[in-house]
Amino acid sequence: MKRILIIDDAATVRLYHRQILEKAGYLVEEAFNGLEALEKALQAPFDLYLVDINTPKLDGFGFLRELRSQPITQTPAIMISTMAEERDRQQAAAAGANDYLVKPVRPEQLLAHVRPLLGEVST
Amino acid sequence: MPLIKPGQTPPSDEEKRRWPRDADGLLRALDDSTPSARRCSARDMANAENDAQRALFAAALLARLRSEHEVSVREVMLTTLVRLGDIAALSGLADCLRTDDTTLRNEVIEAMREAPAETAPIILELLGDAEPSLRVFAVNILESFRHPDVEHWLIDLISHEANVNVCASAVDVLCLTGSTASRPALLALRQRFPEEPFLQFAIDLALKRTAD
Repeated sequence: MKRILIIDDAATVRLYHRQILEKAGYLVEEAFNGLEALEKALQAPFDLYLVDINTPKLDGFGFLRELRSQPITQTPAIMISTMAEERDRQQAAAAGANDYLVKPVRPEQLLAHVRPLLGEVST
Repeated sequence: MPLIKPGQTPPSDEEKRRWPRDADGLLRALDDSTPSARRCSARDMANAENDAQRALFAAALLARLRSEHEVSVREVMLTTLVRLGDIAALSGLADCLRTDDTTLRNEVIEAMREAPAETAPIILELLGDAEPSLRVFAVNILESFRHPDVEHWLIDLISHEANVNVCASAVDVLCLTGSTASRPALLALRQRFPEEPFLQFAIDLALKRTAD
């Protein structure tokens, strides 16, 4: 079963994404911020990271930069944000994100972006 | 007498000798090459003696803030800017929320949360900002903001806010801090956004948590 880590400081968002992903058959863990996520990722790498940009302590960009500097993982990551400007997408790509989603995300939209990054056919 | 937070190191004798602790000395120390001297300067600026000095220190701190790379110095600069309570200082802090620097934005949010009495007026302005992302940041500040009017502000916001992400952020905070008083506004919001699955989900969760 593929493991996904959701990184978001908003509890409602974490729960919403968790329910969508679990219903689709994924094993989901949560982190409140980039620091907590980094600890979890270094303990046992995941198959995909769903990363909010604006998290306290260590933001999404910082988390991805740290993650990408580690030799253990080039695991795919989707950055997710309320910010929809092109410069935000570029900044996310520069930090190492494979994809970018603008909140609020619909269930089918989330799965359509998650599945290809996990090597699955999106239906 | 300068306020020294627990865990912070008071200025060393060498630092005190190098820069006098008067206004001019503090301003010069803010450009010192050593982080400890800059940190001490920023901390002592919180003890400004009059409005003119407060304005002077606020301008100096804001000018230096974005180029200060030492996190511990930036933290003290932000705390002092909030404590100065000067309108220019608070407006300058609010402007920092417009930057692309997510680290600085998060630090400003943390600093503003710590001093609700001083920052409440500026947060009310931010809640009405033309830019939705600024309104989201203002709502984020309210998440752990010790002010008696927080729920009232959020109810007022979701009663007229048109941006779904601003509403979602407000509902997330109401989920944590709201009471039964927020239920009519939450129900009305659910009617206004019937096609937004996330907002429907968040509102249902908030309604459950504010049920009694």
